Amino acid sequence: MHYTIHFSQVLKYIPYLIGGAWLSFQIAFLAFCGGMVIGLAGAIAKTYGNRVLQVLVNGYVTFFTNTPQLVQIYFIFFGLPQFGIVLSSYETVLVGMTLNAGAYATEIQRAGFLSVRRSELEAAETLGMSFLQSVRYVILPHLSKTLYPPFSNLYIIMTLGTSMAAIFGVEELTGRAFNVDAITFRPVEIFSITAGLYILITIAASFILLYLGRWLFRVKGKVF
Amino acid sequence: MWASLLEEIPRFFTYYNLIFLLQAGARTIGLSAIGCIIGFVTGFFLAIMRVSRGRSFLPIRLFSINFVEFFRRVPFLVTLMLVFFICQAANLQFSVFTVSMITVCLIASGFIAEIVRAGIESVNVTQWEAADVLNFTLAEKLRLVIIPQAWKVILAPVFSFFLSFIKDTALASQIGVIELTYSGKVLNNKGFSAILVFGTILIMYFIISYPLALFGRWMERKFAISKH
Repeated sequence: MHYTIHFSQVLKYIPYLIGGAWLSFQIAFLAFCGGMVIGLAGAIAKTYGNRVLQVLVNGYVTFFTNTPQLVQIYFIFFGLPQFGIVLSSYETVLVGMTLNAGAYATEIQRAGFLSVRRSELEAAETLGMSFLQSVRYVILPHLSKTLYPPFSNLYIIMTLGTSMAAIFGVEELTGRAFNVDAITFRPVEIFSITAGLYILITIAASFILLYLGRWLFRVKGKVF
Repeated sequence: MWASLLEEIPRFFTYYNLIFLLQAGARTIGLSAIGCIIGFVTGFFLAIMRVSRGRSFLPIRLFSINFVEFFRRVPFLVTLMLVFFICQAANLQFSVFTVSMITVCLIASGFIAEIVRAGIESVNVTQWEAADVLNFTLAEKLRLVIIPQAWKVILAPVFSFFLSFIKDTALASQIGVIELTYSGKVLNNKGFSAILVFGTILIMYFIISYPLALFGRWMERKFAISKH
């Protein structure tokens, strides 16, 4: 068997793949935002909540960070219909990724909460700041600075994680790559183009996050 | 619903199913362990290539940067497919296990290279200069000066990467490696309820991963570098 590389047959599918990349971005972005909200609630519950709430949040975080995302989504995808809840594959992936991201975001935000030192709050009090002022001038700048880098990391990891949606039949970038492969039988070319697109997306995301961070929170960082 | 699930449990946990699941679990552990050990070695060399200086080392540096950035920015699934089909196109008769092993090693070395580089760069530049003054060779500098100081920074993140990697190997099921996730799919196709099957698989992953996570946390505390 001899395989020769022919890019000419797959080049015309690149716009189709880019459409898939847009869907990948959508899934990653929605799941990330959902994860942030869950993470904020979880971190608040874990830091300030009562014992029961803490145990519940702890269990959620420990379970979701110690099991693979793929199997979690399998569980939702095949398990929930037994309870009579039928979600489309897009919804399933979104729910699974959001729950997973929520667990990681809880840990990140809690670490952020803990990093605000008591002495900083006391200093703010000494300066006669009201509670809102100390949130605005002390806590938020500090939090954004500590939380921004891990969150941008999480976003990049989640963008890569969206490729899992292909397994459940969502036609995002990897899913469309599988489709094109089925049409053209040119797997090597297609998957190298797909890999290139993923690199482009994540590098673009890294740069946008870097400049956004510099502009908004004066967070230093570099892409490479 | 619950009644039928309970009724199914004794049928599910038969001797042969358990053997099947345990073998699959062993394969998951083997895949991630071997991948991480080889990945650690190659990642280490990649990191050293990356921190090399001078114009004559530029091609080596560029190679390292490209390698690391490629495997860190392409999803596991796509890399797996790429390796799988390239092996096929090159007419290499590898088993699917070997293919997933190659993928795991490649990705692990990319990620670990970045962690090791961060560790090496955490060592103050004056230490390098002092070693320069003492006329150490690169190997001596690394062995006697840099690594003893850097390994504390490297160890904890590398360990947490190992942990996340156990979970990533679930994707190897997509080319037919019979590890935990795939065994779950097989049992589900045999007609066992998905909640039971994938619940068991999730718990098995948890059993593998959680003790390691506790160990990692302990290690992180032990080697924590006080900043204040």
